Amino acid sequence: MTISTRRPSLILAAALALELLAACSGPREYFSVLPDHDGKTGQMVVTPRQGTALTLDRTNASATVRGGEISPAKLSEAELKEMYREALSAQPMAPTRFLIYFVEGGDILTAESQRELDNVLAEIKKRPAPDLIVVDHTDRIGSVADNDRLALRRAEKVRSQLVAQGFSPESISASGRGEREPLVATADEIAEARNRRVEILVR
Amino acid sequence: MGRINRSRSGGSSDDDHFPAMTITWLGFLSCCAVFGLVFSCPVVAQMGAASAAGQTAPAWVAQVKVSRGIVRIERGGQRFPSPVGARLKVEDTVITEANGSVGLMFADNSTLSMGPGGEVFLHTFSYDPTTYMGAFDAFVKQGTVSLQAGNLAQGAPDSVKIRTPQAEVKGNARQFLVSVEEKK
Repeated sequence: MTISTRRPSLILAAALALELLAACSGPREYFSVLPDHDGKTGQMVVTPRQGTALTLDRTNASATVRGGEISPAKLSEAELKEMYREALSAQPMAPTRFLIYFVEGGDILTAESQRELDNVLAEIKKRPAPDLIVVDHTDRIGSVADNDRLALRRAEKVRSQLVAQGFSPESISASGRGEREPLVATADEIAEARNRRVEILVR
Repeated sequence: MGRINRSRSGGSSDDDHFPAMTITWLGFLSCCAVFGLVFSCPVVAQMGAASAAGQTAPAWVAQVKVSRGIVRIERGGQRFPSPVGARLKVEDTVITEANGSVGLMFADNSTLSMGPGGEVFLHTFSYDPTTYMGAFDAFVKQGTVSLQAGNLAQGAPDSVKIRTPQAEVKGNARQFLVSVEEKK
């Protein structure tokens, strides 16, 4: 009799104890947000298995999750640098961007772009496993779809030239951004030579 | 790249005016060809095929740019060493041993780097280099990971996702740090 009346509370206590155990034991997870070179962090939204999401949007803002539950964490820049020392030091070099222009109406590179190609080569040599991305941009003459096709065709042409010159095909990709990323903002249907360019990314 | 015709929709005349440029400096490259650690044949098979999505892209989604100590790629139940230059595909798992660390660069210029004793599964990576639309989804099973956002993060909010055993991370942050303790 006494046992049976106690049982529910015992079960409750056991369940509570288990939950507490789960919450304060088991592997921990940490989440932090770092700023980019401009000091912008953006938002990092961490949603734990249980409970509500936490938004990290200030430099070095951190959260920890344990037993599926989230709480804010205080980690200094020095602590983060120590915690992520190897991961941060294994970050690949940022890609380097080169802009290539051709003389109007022809197939000859401008003198400046010719020199730029030497810089591309120098950059390739600096990297242990370089790959290239060729991106063509157009101006705003024509429709978006037509400019996409045009940009891709041109980028592919440059790419096949590079491949023909002995560059490994697996290491170059070509894509077109069409008129989406003008260097100089213009109204639609405006010819703008500075926007007709090929970008070479060495990564 | 000079002449732009008024009516591009008309056909390929623009293309014909596009330079058949000669880039002699590339001759050098054949000598310093560090490239080519291709892990699988399909990569070669799909090369050069221009997709409708607007790209000529290899089947691989990322490349190992930094590799220290013992780093492996698990693919289809098999483990491969993962030196600098190795390529990764979707559904690969990247594993670092106690002395290992690795740095990957993805097609959209995002980077993922990981310290020792780590394991990350590349669940999803799709990327349209014309529109920057697509999705990145990686599962961090354990270890310390730094993710620097690339073009995908500009394409659409929440296109970048990291999952861990206990949580899910999204957002337009420039650099995410995630650490998952080893399960004992």
